[in-house]
Order: sequence, then structure tokens, then C-alpha cells
Amino acid sequence: MLRLTDLRKSFGPIAAVDGVSLEVHRGEVFGLLGPNGAGKSTTISMAVGLLAPDSGSVDVNSQGPPTSHRVRAHIGVATQALAIYDQLTGLENLRMFGRLYGLSGTTLAKRVEHALDLVGLLPRAKDLAGGYSGGMKRRLNLAAALIHDPPLLLLDEPTAGVDPQSRNNILDTVRELAKQGRTIIYTTHYMEEAQRLCDRVGIIDKGRLLCVGTVDELVRTHGGTSLVRVSRGEHEDAIETDDPLRTIETAITHGRDTQAATHPITGIRIDRPDLESVFLALTGRRLRD
Amino acid sequence: MNILQSISAAVAIAVTDLKLLLRDKLDAFFTFVFPLIFAIFFGWVFGGAGGGETGKIELGIVQLDKSASATAFADDLAKLDGFHVTRFDDVAKAQDKVRKGELVACVVIPEDFNAKFEDLFATGAGPTVRGYVDPSRRGETGLLEGRLTELAFKGMTRSFSNTDSMKKQLAKARESIEKSKDTDPSRKFVFNTFLTGIEGLLADNARRAAKDAGGGKAPSGGLGAGMDNFRPVKIELEQLKRDSNGPTNSYEVSLPQGIVWGLMGCVTAFVGTLAVDRQRGTLVRLMCSPLSTSTIIAGKSLAGFVSCMAVQWLLIGVFAFAFKVRVPEPLMLLLATTCASLGFVGLMMFLAVMGRASDGSGGMGRAVVLVLAMIGGGTIPVFIMPKIMQTISGISPFSWAVRAVEGATWRSMSLSEIMLPCGVLLAIGAVGFTLGAMMFRRNASAH
Repeated sequence: MLRLTDLRKSFGPIAAVDGVSLEVHRGEVFGLLGPNGAGKSTTISMAVGLLAPDSGSVDVNSQGPPTSHRVRAHIGVATQALAIYDQLTGLENLRMFGRLYGLSGTTLAKRVEHALDLVGLLPRAKDLAGGYSGGMKRRLNLAAALIHDPPLLLLDEPTAGVDPQSRNNILDTVRELAKQGRTIIYTTHYMEEAQRLCDRVGIIDKGRLLCVGTVDELVRTHGGTSLVRVSRGEHEDAIETDDPLRTIETAITHGRDTQAATHPITGIRIDRPDLESVFLALTGRRLRD
Repeated sequence: MNILQSISAAVAIAVTDLKLLLRDKLDAFFTFVFPLIFAIFFGWVFGGAGGGETGKIELGIVQLDKSASATAFADDLAKLDGFHVTRFDDVAKAQDKVRKGELVACVVIPEDFNAKFEDLFATGAGPTVRGYVDPSRRGETGLLEGRLTELAFKGMTRSFSNTDSMKKQLAKARESIEKSKDTDPSRKFVFNTFLTGIEGLLADNARRAAKDAGGGKAPSGGLGAGMDNFRPVKIELEQLKRDSNGPTNSYEVSLPQGIVWGLMGCVTAFVGTLAVDRQRGTLVRLMCSPLSTSTIIAGKSLAGFVSCMAVQWLLIGVFAFAFKVRVPEPLMLLLATTCASLGFVGLMMFLAVMGRASDGSGGMGRAVVLVLAMIGGGTIPVFIMPKIMQTISGISPFSWAVRAVEGATWRSMSLSEIMLPCGVLLAIGAVGFTLGAMMFRRNASAH
């Protein structure tokens, strides 16, 4: 559905995207993760035709680059910024965005109603968007990306700064859209979202795509070892291990008999590597500007 | 997307921008309401701070005959309801005021007014009162003609109630009949008998009048009755070609000023709209859609054009109806306002893409536009500025808009004359639009 081949884009001396190649399949939810300034938004901008790559190519649905208006009609974008008009109602916003895609009449009315219903904003359709909560605005932003029923959706941090209810609604909506067979590219800072939603994940940093795979594959490959935490009262031992169960068994049955009498085990916890471990392992723990 | 869909999308963008303008109370106020208030206020101030009488027809009287009947006629004229009368000694001076539009008409009471009036029965022709009128004020002219006729009858009635005056007229008539060599004696006898009858009637009238006055009743009947087709004073109205070198009232001066402020409001509002679009991300949504940049620019420009036209015609409508600002050639004014709108759409587009952040382009745009408006006639009308400022004002598109609007209103320019300001506005629009569109495309691709 979307193929990026050796994409490169520099702003002055800084290489924002440095040779990214990626293929996202039809009906797949693909998570693009990376710290701030990693090159996610630049990659997305090139994927939707907002930016021309210095080199490399973008192909959407085997129809060519998104510089063509015909190709852009297949893409829906929910930008990180809330690209909606506060002085218009939810209904007016969607009608306006629908017209940009050539929709009109009953088709437009049906699409608007469907999109509002999907994101749970139908009861507030005639209220000014300026009066919506942050979560409602995010949902309207998502609805605006769906108005023309695109097969490819690019969602740039669609849950940034929203309350748990709206976040849950957005995640449910994305799942529903995925079930309908849409291809979704999802960027986020929330690892558990990516872990829950994405079929495959790519981690990008300093303009380079560091890894691509399913969450399990990435954890296996880059997540490192599990950590078994054995508590004895206020004292805790952290044991790195590839086999947590064996380590626990050893701790209970064989290990440290001398301590058992005076310091019995009060708790055991296993910290398995997850996507966050993968992310930090690949991008480091240093703070980013 | 086909052409119809592109047009529909451009219209959707324009409608959205206009809705945003109208729903932003501050922008709507400074675009539509403030210019109106400003222009009305300055029109009032320039017009003598409301000191002049309004709603009355300005009329001049030149009384060349100082006789009692001419004075009475002039006094009656001065007392007419709905007229504000100014007296002049010189016909040319009064005519000049009409030409300048300061008077709707001037009425000249001729030197032979009384003499002709006294010869009315002898010659059958009364005096001729000549009026010089502004051809653009037909309604008021018709009213004036009716009132003059009414006054002439009133003067004749007054004359008939004046026995001495009437006796003089009859004596002149009798003398004229006697002197006539063409009239045969039998006819002379008939006329003299008729005149003797009238003299008897006059004497009877005088007795009845004295009796009525004693009984507190108003005089009634008399010779004035039943003379519907008779005109004791001939009224001739002549149209004076307007001298178009000056405004007729202060609102004709303040209207273009209001238009300057209205256009300024439109420019700043739309410069801000595009900047906010860019900042919020709605511009990115437009750019991600299957629309070409040309369609987006067309939509934005259409909104700007419609708002410029709307504010100009709102002002023109209010000033034409409420403050009697002349629109001698509506099509010329349409041409002027269209060219002004196109010129300012170009300026909008250029200023909007100059900055990339809302505060940047909005603030810079406002500053540039404010300076251009000030030197372009926004506060002081260009034609009363010092010569050097009038020259400098040529760099301001506002001054060209003012010239175009003035040309189509009180300056009464010909089509060829108005083409200069209109052409300059179109050139400004074309340059601004081209540069703006190029920068918009470049900025969009560099986003």
C-alpha cells in the first residue's frame, strides 16, 4: 500500500531523514516510533506529498508518488496539530473538508454523519469546535481524516494530550478502521498504544530506520534480558536472566538457605522486556531536546 | 478532481474564510462596522460638526427687482417649508453654487418682475422667473417648480386683494386699449365695459373684505378663484451642467476614507486568516487534499475579493441613501470597486505569505497596511494633503483606490480618466498575486 524507498531529506546540514526504506502492507497497522526530532514527521510529510524528498521515492497503492492529486485522494491525514476550525461547528468542519475531496449532496451528508458517529461526536455536531474538550477536538481531527473514506490513513500522534476516555475511543476507532481493511500508519510516544494496536513497528532515530518487525520480534531481538526482582522485607535483589522461571525456582528452592531463615522471600516480580525496553535500547536514555 | 469539483472546493474554502471572518467579532467589527463609523464621523466633522441643516433643499434666490411685489415673492420663497434659502446679489455666483452642487437650484426674480406683473391684464403675459437647476436632482427640481407656481398664484391673489395695485393694472389696461390702433371701436367698447365691471367687482370685494375683517373672517372668493389653467408667472427652468471639481457634501469626502479603512480591515483579517491556517495546521490539511495550490489560492482570494466588495458596497449603499452621496455612474463605481478589490486581493496574498508564523505575518501585515492606509488617505483625504504628500501617496494602493472611488463619485471622471487608477490597482493586484502565489507554492513545498 505504501512503499518508501531510500528516502532522504536534509534541512541545511541536518539530515532529517537518511535513507529510510519501508513497505507497509494493505490492511496493516504500522507503528512508527521515535524520539522527538527523529524524523517521523518528515517521513510522514514526504509520504503524503507535503514535502518533496531530496532523493528516494514514495509509492502509494502502486499508483505513484503523492504529488499527484489523484494519489492524494487515497490518503487521509490526522496531523499532530489540531487541524480544525474552532469557529466552525463539528458538522461545518467536516462538510468543508469533505468538499475539498469533491464530495457533495447526500454522499457528503452521509459521510459526515458516519464520521461523526464513528468518533462519538454526533450529539455535539452542531456545537462550535472551539467549545470542544481537547479529546473531542482530537476525535474531530481524526474524523476529518476519514471523511473521504481513504484506504490509507496517516495518524500523527492522534492521542496526544487527551483524557483516557477519548484515548480509548480513538484506539477503538483505529481498531475498527483496521478491521475494515484500511492501512494505517500510526506515530506515537505511547509504547503501550503501539504494542496494543500495531501489527508491525518501526523505530526511527536521527533520520534512520533502526528496526522493523512485530512487537514480539523486536522484543526478542532488541529487548534484552528479563529482570527477576526478589524482595525480602525491605531488601530487593534484581537478577538479570534469560529464563525468569528457572531463576525464581532457584531463588526459592536452592538459593541462599542461610538468608531464608532470617530474611524470607516476601515478593517476586518479573520485569519482561517490552517495546519501551526496545525503544530505549535502540535510541538510548539520553534526554532529547 | 474535475473542474466543477475544483470550483466547488474553492468556493468551500472561500465560504469558510468568510464564516471565520464574520464569526470573529473583532475582525468583523474592524472590517465592516468600524469603517462605517469612521466615515460617518469624519463626514459629520468635515461638514461642520453637524452644524448645518440637513434634510432641506438648498435653494438660492437672486432678487434683481427690489419692488414690493418682487420682495413679497422672494419672502414667500424664503419661507417655504423644506427649503433652506440663501440670498445672492449676483446671478453668476448663485449659478456657480449650483454647478458645484452646493445648491439644488437658484431662482432669479428678474428686474422687470413688478412691471410685467402690472402689465398682466394689458399684455396677458406675466413676468418670467428663471430657475437654474442641478440636473442630478430631478425630484427636488419638480418640487421647486410646483412651489414656484403656487407662490405666483399667491402673489396674484395678494395683488387682487390690493385694490390700489389692481386699479393701477386696470388703468394700464384701459390706457393700452385706448392707444391701440388695431382694435376697432366696438371691441374697445366691449373691453372697457368688461374693465368697468371688474372695477365694480373690485369695489364690492373691498367692501366685503372690510366687512369680513371686521367680523374676524378670512377673506374668501375673489378673482383668484377658478383660474386653474392660468399662469400669472412664467417659470422657466434651465439645467446647469455640473462642475465636477468638488464634492457636494462632506460625506462624499469621508466615503473613500471609510473604504480605505474597510479595505484595510479586509487585508489584515485575511492576512491573519492565512497565518492562523498555517499555524493551526488547517493549511496542511488543505495541502494534503487533492486540491492544486491554484485552487487553494483561488479559494482564499475569492474570500478576500468578496469581503472587499462587500465592505465597499455596504459603505456606498449607506452613504448614498443616508447621506446623499452621489453615484452618477453606478457602472463606473462597480468598475472602480472591482479593481480596488482585485488590487487588494493581490496585496493580501503577498502580505499573507511574507511571514510564516501567525504573529509574524499578522503583525507585519498590519504595520505595513496601516502605514499605506495613512499615506493613502485613510486619515486625511489625499486631495487636501500637501503636494509632496500627494506625490508620496502614489506608492500606496489605498490612494489609488480612493482616486478610483472619487473618480466614480464626486469627481465624475470619464471612463478614460478612471482607467489610470483602475489600471494601477489591477497592476498592484497582478504583481502582488503573482509574487504571493509563487511564495505560497514555495512555502507549501518547503513546509
